[in-house]
Amino acid sequence: MTTPAATAPLRRDGLGWYLYGVAAADEASARLGAGLAAGAVQGIDLVAEGPLVGVTSRVSLQEFAEPALPERLRDTTWLEQMIRTHEQVLERVLEDASVVPCRFCSVYRSEAELRRFLSERREVLQAALDRVRGRVEVGVKAFIDRDRFAAGRARQNEDVRQQETQVSSAEGGRAYLERRRFEQLVASELERFRGEAADRLHTRLLAAAEDGLALPLQAPELSGREEEMVFNGAYLVTADRGAFEQALASLGRDFRDDGVELELTGPWPAYNFVPEELGAE
Amino acid sequence: MSSRELEGYRSGQPAQLADVLERVLDKGIVIAGDIQINLLDIELLTVKIRLLIASADKAREMGIDWWEGDAFLSKRNGQGELEERLRKLEEAAGLPTSPKQESG
Repeated sequence: MTTPAATAPLRRDGLGWYLYGVAAADEASARLGAGLAAGAVQGIDLVAEGPLVGVTSRVSLQEFAEPALPERLRDTTWLEQMIRTHEQVLERVLEDASVVPCRFCSVYRSEAELRRFLSERREVLQAALDRVRGRVEVGVKAFIDRDRFAAGRARQNEDVRQQETQVSSAEGGRAYLERRRFEQLVASELERFRGEAADRLHTRLLAAAEDGLALPLQAPELSGREEEMVFNGAYLVTADRGAFEQALASLGRDFRDDGVELELTGPWPAYNFVPEELGAE
Repeated sequence: MSSRELEGYRSGQPAQLADVLERVLDKGIVIAGDIQINLLDIELLTVKIRLLIASADKAREMGIDWWEGDAFLSKRNGQGELEERLRKLEEAAGLPTSPKQESG
């Protein structure tokens, strides 16, 4: 495959700038800069340009450019490590400064290009930073335990209760059929409850946050939990998180008897609350 | 173990890979144009990475070395099941597809 004519010739031995995110110079240079100088974070360079700072690492362009990169990405050990590093660097920055996170594998070919980006897109980056300043993203996931739901919440439904009586009084082959019927009723009750629970959770959490959105549910293979995920949300909250955690705790108590368990993740860099596209230059 | 568990929710677990992925790969600003890897590449990679990780966790659950014997991952075989799934996903997403395997 040939390189498109528009791109500059690749210096095969060259180093590029991997951009993890953008922070404000006043915050980052003082606190984060001190940490970096003290060797708290290895291999991270702060590139200051006006009021903004790019959080970068030098990476080998040979590793990150075509044709090596697609090949590299097949190496899942490398891949997972890169993805984790991306997140860990940003989490470290977040301890000291607000940060606008970049997507995985944002690499500049030269320092000049990186600096040009920071200065040309200053306004929109600044606006994105202002939005996340003093705030963090948190994740909330809700899982439901089917057995506990069947034993608790599902019994609020009249049909479920009646059917349960049928199950206990039936014998032999009929008992099996009544049992099946009971399980079907519980399943349809669960189906109804799922949507209702997700709505209630999101409405109340959103009221306690600056902003929020529902994310796609994760299948058990991804979530690593046997219980079914019924809600997955991300919220932008003030860094102290007090009001939000109170709302979450109250919801957790409300939902406990229904077999629902809530899980809080983060603080995350505000991935879900920065613009995806920066707009035309 | 967090004392918050008593308060009604769990917290403080190490980040699950799935939570990291849904952020690092899907969100965050995209700097189109200036970068070495263009946007289209990233989208294609994202689809691939999704398949990789989904397979990874599934197989870890089953306790096997999931990357072995997987044509897509082990060698540039290009005819594996994952390639086919990727091609379909790309098609569905309206992206230019990987070269289709000629069947006849």
